[in-house]
Amino acid sequence: MKKILLVAVLAVSTLFSADHVIDQKGKTFIPHEITVAVGDTLTFKNSDPFAHNAYTDDEANEFDIGMQSPGTNASVTIKAAGTFSVECAIHPNMLLEVTAK
Amino acid sequence: MIRTLALSALVATLAITSVSATEDMSKWLRPSEIPQPKNNKLTPERIELGKLLYFDTRLSSSGEVSCATCHHPKRGWTDEKPTAKAVGVDGRVGPRNSPVVLNTAYQNRQFWDGRARTLEQQALGPIEADVEMNMPLDVLLPKLRKIKGYVELFEKAYPGEGITEKTLAKAIASFERTVVSTESPFDKYAKGDKYAISDKAKEGFELFAGKAGCINCHDGFNFTDGSFHNIGLHDGELQGKELGRYLVKMRAAWYGVMKTPTLRDVAKSFPYFHDGSVKTLEEATAICAGGGRFEHNVKNKSLSIVDRHLTKEEIDKVVAFMHTLTGPDMDLTIPTKFPQ
Ligand code: HEC
Ligand code: HEC
Ligand SMILES: [Cu+2]
Repeated sequence: MKKILLVAVLAVSTLFSADHVIDQKGKTFIPHEITVAVGDTLTFKNSDPFAHNAYTDDEANEFDIGMQSPGTNASVTIKAAGTFSVECAIHPNMLLEVTAK
Repeated sequence: MIRTLALSALVATLAITSVSATEDMSKWLRPSEIPQPKNNKLTPERIELGKLLYFDTRLSSSGEVSCATCHHPKRGWTDEKPTAKAVGVDGRVGPRNSPVVLNTAYQNRQFWDGRARTLEQQALGPIEADVEMNMPLDVLLPKLRKIKGYVELFEKAYPGEGITEKTLAKAIASFERTVVSTESPFDKYAKGDKYAISDKAKEGFELFAGKAGCINCHDGFNFTDGSFHNIGLHDGELQGKELGRYLVKMRAAWYGVMKTPTLRDVAKSFPYFHDGSVKTLEEATAICAGGGRFEHNVKNKSLSIVDRHLTKEEIDKVVAFMHTLTGPDMDLTIPTKFPQ
């Protein structure tokens, strides 16, 4: 019974976890501010004709997508609540503010 | 009736094209404002004090080196003598080529590897660095406090704050912020004066923004977007030689990367690159448009550094364009008398 409940909860949470597309275009993140829920995914899309590299050094949500080629997508899952900024390792003027609830 | 319609349609299209033409060029125009931090607004007193400190050789241990030794106005704000690596007190040679101080006000990362953010954070580094001015601040600050002229000038610039690390850095940064580009022939062209640059340079600009791919990184009015890249100046593994931004943090994307420098006044500031290994703009262009100095086996080379198959004529055109980014020297009197 317990197991079934757990499975159901998991199913519900994946059902409700959303994917948010962040476009990287003209050396900016679009949008550049976003509110998400823990468990949601951020999908970084590269619409520029050159590489990007989204990352955050935030302790709870640390990730580094690595050098991302033009025309590709890469996703990360939000692990913990809090606010943090995502930068591009190649273009430090690119900034995305994330609020995770 | 139809004719007038057609004509007005034509006029409308013409208007649209000319609008978009000026719109396209607007990103190349120099901004009218200099960005200033809230806690260090520019004032004439701060700029004047910073200028004296910038040119004062008493800020170095040998009494012979000032900021201007390595960032001189007559040389596009790089080394007064065209050396590949910066030469500081007693002829000591540093690890890197001196970048230009021009337009650093618009940069939000300083140094080749971006390790400082603001000009205030940057300013004290070279004073203390043993290969540059080699002057510990706990020696310099008491020394400056004994110079009556400086005590008065600091008081005027930063009333009640005294001569401290903070006010020293703030004053130097204030002067540096005023070091911005003057109007170059390219600026006149961008504003609509079709005859300000040669046809060769115009074709060079087209290549720069198109086939040659320079605009991927040397973008915007300052001809840099502030981005970091490994352009393949070194072969294979760097073996700790020039790890660039990787020294700031060992992030894979930072292996051997350096900041994209401005190309304004670039004709004045040879030799080029962080290692000063290249003397001419032709050679620099051939490297950037030819897939790097080494085409094979360069770890973490930028995806934008590929062979663009430029002919020699095309390289010459790009170089002719870069020469149009040279403006007249800034209106500046280099101080010869210093506070006593
Ligand atoms: C001995 C030569 C030397 C002296 C003297 C010197 N610098 Fe530099 N400067 C350099 C070098 C070399 C670098 C690059 C170092 C690096 O990136 O690791 C640099 C970097 C800089 C930068 C960063 C520019 C950019 O585009 O990132 C600024 C600003 C600057 N210096 C200002 C100053 C000021 C102000 C002084 C005087 C207080 C000074 N420098 C004294 C050699 C010198
Ligand atoms: C991938 C980004 C990128 C592209 C594309 C690129 N550059 Fe650069 N450029 C850089 C970086 C980064 C440096 C500094 C590299 C170093 O010193 O290690 C540089 C340095 C230079 C320099 C030397 C400037 C100085 O003050 O030392 C010149 C000149 C130059 N580039 C011209 C060009 C031209 C012309 C093109 C097009 C053919 C071009 N670049 C394409 C990133 C780029
Ligand atoms: Cu980027």
